[in-house]
Amino acid sequence: MAKGFYTDTTICIGCKACQVACHQWNQLPAEEGGQRELTGDSYDNTGRLSALNWRHVKFIEQIPESREQTGFLQGSRWLMMSDVCKHCVRAGCLEVCPTGAIIRTEFDSVFIQQDVCNGCRACISACPFGVVDVGEDGKAHKCTLCYDRLQHGMEPACAQACPTDSIRFGEVTDLMALADARAAELKAQGVNGYVYGKEDIVGGLNAFYVLVDEPHVYGLPDRPELPSENVGTGFALSAAAAAALAIGGVVSFRKDRMDGFATEEDARTNDGPRRLADPDGGSGEGRP
Amino acid sequence: MSATTLLLQIAANPQSGVALPPHWGWWVILYFFFGGLAAGSYFIATMLELVGDPRDDDAVRLGYLLAFPLVVLCGLLLVVDLGVPLRFWHMLVQSERPPLPMFKSWSPISVGSWVLFIFAFFAFVSFVGVLVQEGRLRWRPLVAADRWARSRPRPFALLWGILGAFFGFFLAGYTGVLVTGTSIPFWHNARLMGALFLASAASTSYALLILLLMRRGRTHADSTVEKLARADRLAIVLEIVVLAIMLVLLGGVARPMIAGGFGVVFWLGVVIVGLLLPLAFHWSGRVGPASAERRATLAAACVLVGGFLLRFVVVMSPQWPGVPLWYL
Repeated sequence: MAKGFYTDTTICIGCKACQVACHQWNQLPAEEGGQRELTGDSYDNTGRLSALNWRHVKFIEQIPESREQTGFLQGSRWLMMSDVCKHCVRAGCLEVCPTGAIIRTEFDSVFIQQDVCNGCRACISACPFGVVDVGEDGKAHKCTLCYDRLQHGMEPACAQACPTDSIRFGEVTDLMALADARAAELKAQGVNGYVYGKEDIVGGLNAFYVLVDEPHVYGLPDRPELPSENVGTGFALSAAAAAALAIGGVVSFRKDRMDGFATEEDARTNDGPRRLADPDGGSGEGRP
Repeated sequence: MSATTLLLQIAANPQSGVALPPHWGWWVILYFFFGGLAAGSYFIATMLELVGDPRDDDAVRLGYLLAFPLVVLCGLLLVVDLGVPLRFWHMLVQSERPPLPMFKSWSPISVGSWVLFIFAFFAFVSFVGVLVQEGRLRWRPLVAADRWARSRPRPFALLWGILGAFFGFFLAGYTGVLVTGTSIPFWHNARLMGALFLASAASTSYALLILLLMRRGRTHADSTVEKLARADRLAIVLEIVVLAIMLVLLGGVARPMIAGGFGVVFWLGVVIVGLLLPLAFHWSGRVGPASAERRATLAAACVLVGGFLLRFVVVMSPQWPGVPLWYL
């Protein structure tokens, strides 16, 4: 019974109610005591998802350099997208976590157990979406899909707070049907709407989106790969290098063998076949 | 820098990246470097013990004496690096179900933790063995155990050596695979990073052994030093080949490392000082100081500096500027 989010970015108004609700429910404090620095290039001043921001409404302000407006919306457009952990079907963070702190819950969401995480930070760079972040406590943090609320039959705080129903919570299969219908509706209106987060995106996302521009415009990877994608090849190539080094070593070390053959023979007759069985352990230098 | 331009043009097709830097700083850089030295000096000692001659025994013992303290240092570096250091054991034991082991064969960091642990055991046994042999440890049960172990038939010694060397090779290589198992484009696509780190671990360890043997009065013409230098040259050549193939395959994705300030460190420090100069010192009498003795010392020192800088640029370059240069 996979639960997740369907976020229709076309009806997001950028009010950030989801961010506020998330902060309130999860008791996430303000950064720097609320002394926020302005990003300087956007009306959005949250910047990105972090250990303290598990929801982040991205503003993609597409304004032409000339700032000219020739008629309604022409040449400029504001895209808004409430970003969150995607609770991937094949989650990179869960895959690499060496302590078992990251688990898949009964709702098929991806959850970091704070009492297990030891702060190795492997999950941070494993996530292809840049979601997981390290907190001041040294541990990894991200959206929990309000695991505590779900266990009591409630929906996540962000989805409940969203005033336009841009964020919807429910069964992933039901939500996907809604998203497909919405994408078709947009297409009929002449807008290139599509669903981001089907099986082609790391096996599917349990929190997926309807977008109207390329994924990278929203700061999403166009073609994400699982972190483990190249690990097998990496190990195989390392094994080949190890074999080459072993052969190189053995060849280099044996090259003098013929010169030292007499010495070796001596050692053999004195100490038996194993040199280091030599009980006095005398240095090789001292031997005849 | 036309070579750089050329490499940038042979663009691979990487995944687009929005992954965050893991904030792996100096503890990790030092771990990668000393881990390579620990593993390298161990597998070199093992190979030398198995196929060398009695004149190499000093170097064998030196390798074993280095490996264990270095691997202990590595363990400490890794523990200090954790966000919650006292939970280091969560890597090996399921903290919710002790004493069940925590192991994920598909996670390089999980496999690496176990390999480090097992390698430390091999290194410890060999370390104690050398101390007993040298008469520095005289505790009777240990002496008896040592005598017993050394009187086992040859296949036993061979198996022990090969197993220990295997874990050594693994430790030296997995750190490279560890960065491949991320979503940072440069790291993720560097499928040869494990092979590169392995070659570098071998070459820096040869250099360290050569330096220490020469400090102990061996000359560059000593048979053991010559063997090590010969093997070092092969390791350096392998490292150059692997690095070249890796850069060609990566193309523009390697940009963080080969361009800008990191590029200067990489081309000057890693490629010229760490790889080309040592080979020049080895092969040509006209490069560097006149005395062959000093050329050998200088070559080894250059290899160590280059090996360290390699870890530095590989770890830091794709994380900067999000992670400052001095980040521990």
